[in-house]
Amino acid sequence: MEIELIEIQEFLASRPPFDQLPEEAMARLPGQLSVRYFRRGTPFPPPDAPAHCLYILRRGAVELRNRGGELVGKLAEGDLCEMPCRFADRTGLGPGSEEQAAAVDADVAVTGSTAEDTLVYEMSGDELDALRATYPAFAEHFNHSVSSRLRKALTGMLDASTSGAALMTVAAKDLLRRGPICARPDISIREAAQIMSEQRNSALLLSHDDRLVGLITDRDLRNRCIATGLPTDRPVREIMTEKVVTIDADTPGFQALIQMTRLNVHHLPVLDQGRIIGMLSTTDLTSFQSTNAVYLVGDIYRAESVDLLVDISSKVPELQVHLVNSGATANQIGQAISAVTDAITKRLLELAEAELGPPPVPYAWMVGGSQARREQSSHSDQDNALLIADEMAEDDDAYFAALAARVNDGLHACGYVYCPGEVMAKNPKWRQPLKVWSKYYNTWIKRPDPMSLMLASVFFDLRALHDPAGLYDELHDRVLKLSRSNRIFIAYMASNALKQRPPLGFFRNFVLIHGGEHDRSVDVKHRGTVPIVDLGRVYAVSLGLDEINTIDRLQAAAGSDELTRDGSASLIDAYELVGTLRMRHQAAQLRRGERANNFLKPEQLSALERGHLKDAFVLINTMQETLSQRYQTARIP
Amino acid sequence: MKSVGLEWRRRWYLKRTAPGPLRDYYAGPFPAPEQDYRTVGYVAVDLETTGLDPRRDQILSLGWVVLNGPRVDLKSARHQVVRVDGAIPAQTAIIHQITDDQAAAGQDLAATLPVLLADLTGRVLIAHHAKVELGFLGQACRRLFGNGLLVRTIDTQVVARRLLDRRDVSYRGSDLRLHRLAERFNLPRYNAHNALSDALTAAELFLAQAAYRDNGKGLPLADFLC
Repeated sequence: MEIELIEIQEFLASRPPFDQLPEEAMARLPGQLSVRYFRRGTPFPPPDAPAHCLYILRRGAVELRNRGGELVGKLAEGDLCEMPCRFADRTGLGPGSEEQAAAVDADVAVTGSTAEDTLVYEMSGDELDALRATYPAFAEHFNHSVSSRLRKALTGMLDASTSGAALMTVAAKDLLRRGPICARPDISIREAAQIMSEQRNSALLLSHDDRLVGLITDRDLRNRCIATGLPTDRPVREIMTEKVVTIDADTPGFQALIQMTRLNVHHLPVLDQGRIIGMLSTTDLTSFQSTNAVYLVGDIYRAESVDLLVDISSKVPELQVHLVNSGATANQIGQAISAVTDAITKRLLELAEAELGPPPVPYAWMVGGSQARREQSSHSDQDNALLIADEMAEDDDAYFAALAARVNDGLHACGYVYCPGEVMAKNPKWRQPLKVWSKYYNTWIKRPDPMSLMLASVFFDLRALHDPAGLYDELHDRVLKLSRSNRIFIAYMASNALKQRPPLGFFRNFVLIHGGEHDRSVDVKHRGTVPIVDLGRVYAVSLGLDEINTIDRLQAAAGSDELTRDGSASLIDAYELVGTLRMRHQAAQLRRGERANNFLKPEQLSALERGHLKDAFVLINTMQETLSQRYQTARIP
Repeated sequence: MKSVGLEWRRRWYLKRTAPGPLRDYYAGPFPAPEQDYRTVGYVAVDLETTGLDPRRDQILSLGWVVLNGPRVDLKSARHQVVRVDGAIPAQTAIIHQITDDQAAAGQDLAATLPVLLADLTGRVLIAHHAKVELGFLGQACRRLFGNGLLVRTIDTQVVARRLLDRRDVSYRGSDLRLHRLAERFNLPRYNAHNALSDALTAAELFLAQAAYRDNGKGLPLADFLC
């Protein structure tokens, strides 16, 4: 090869799978190519294409369509297409249900045309096969389906992060530094304190034959013994906490941390098949920055005023940055941030009740949207509502209006800005007794209209944050039964879920350097994560699932009529990949002191990341198509 | 009609050229003008020279690439810096980024030209503003092999002008420059400015021009010839 073809070599070298080739193979590569040119609107592959070859798009764009004429993919600069072309087949959804298998089969015959003047490099099938035979890493790209590429990309992305990544993957049992320090519950308080001193431990497990019966901490000794003047020769059983929250030995470390954050506790006994094997404390996790979440929540529950809460909440963006740095996935970050939001909301409710007195009748504070799904990023909007017991008298509403105003205003001050759609408890429409809520859902489900479908993203992603009387459970059961049996409603919901499509043609803009008329960025939230969240909701409602978190929903729906196991695993990977790219983008902005947004520009991504993002978009599109066929959404206005 | 007579003239040249690379070149029949352009072989050539006068100025470098019908075969790409006598005029050195040292390390044109002629045998020459290439290659052939160069030629600049004239749009001279046309047809931009990258761009430009004229049924080669 002539050295002057170096520019062609450089073009290829940065792009998968050519990035997998060693230098000497890379140097030979341009000599194995021919150049071809097709004007806009020409059939692709060309009629004179070899039976087996590889096309690499250098300039222009190609649209690929299935037999039905539907757009199944778009090739842009740097994309590969092996002939014979089986585009949808490569998403690797595999033969799940028969229905899906049929859909994939129908897509095997792909025809396309050039959407712009297009220049391609053509490699013969023999050359391609020779490269694949010699370089397994190169071959892998072709063997792997879109979904397994996503999986690999995600693992690689998280592994590459930092040492903190351990927390995300290591099981609780592997975080334990020593065996359990246990005592029998009938020893005296003094003896218990002596063991704790000797062992330099701030907590002691109390057990009977390896079975946990209770726990005491330094704080219990102080509050329940010394402060009350209880004699120290009394059995420790009298001051121990009996209802101890425990975690399973295989729980990921991060999940343990979230548990501690949610419950505002600093110790978690670890059980292996019911047997105590140790205790995890926040100090075991302090090497991980993400522990901040636990301390943040501790501070929140001690805060005596809204002003203090505002101060604390200003640290949430910092928390997000720390979590990203420690290699957390989007879902893990969502869990942590939402746990903090929950704590702030609960504390605001406590402060409001302290000021206004106890409620006249029981109520439930419900949170909706991303908070309910535990998918918030730092400072999302607030979505909430009040469910009040049916016994409420007419003038009781004044109390709840005041309560709602305090909490809504407090959240707003803490950076959870007012919901632009007014879905907040201070709006009288969303502060109603159970019977009215039942009526609302009845109307939405039986007579779906655009408004109710818009509200579905809040009210079908709903969770009671504070509900001492269990009012929400009753409503929830009714709604599940009603919606599950109503196929028309679900079809409407499915149709609505298909309104946001991933930007398959997005990367085309990247090619158009002189473009200018396009906004050259993609809203990864609305066109990447929201479509998956919407799919998750349709699956959940149609199957009557309790889960609210998108990943939980996708996992619960796996293997059902709605979603194959492969489809579920792939969607979860796509969701984590897009979400994690988004979180990293936001963390970078926050670090630079900018406001976080969802707009990713292609030049911010490496060629590899662009490839992965595109794989994710293709996958989302395929799953949307499957849903569309299942519910015949084309017939819905 | 001169292209019809060209094959006859080739045979005449064959008889009157001394044995050697040029005679070997003339031994290969020229592609017929009525042949479908998609079945013809081409060589896109670009030269860099110390000036524009073939009698006074010298070739600094040659770049070329072979096309098999509508495919540019990158394996065939060649680039050769030529040893020149005397210093390169400063102006030229700046444009081509070829220094005296590089030129001194270059190959003798007598060694490079036979390789190009072998590739040209039985093929059509493509160049942008082909006058320069034909002038300098003809002069070199006369000097080295005792006879001029006869070759079927496609001048992509002429083809571009015809396309524009046919569409009756107004254009400026600068619109006919190689890189301006490459941009219009959405061709890759090469940062390097050398004989091979320009030859490759000319080859790609020809593919683009052919794609714009061909409705998928093919065209006679004659439609593109000078």
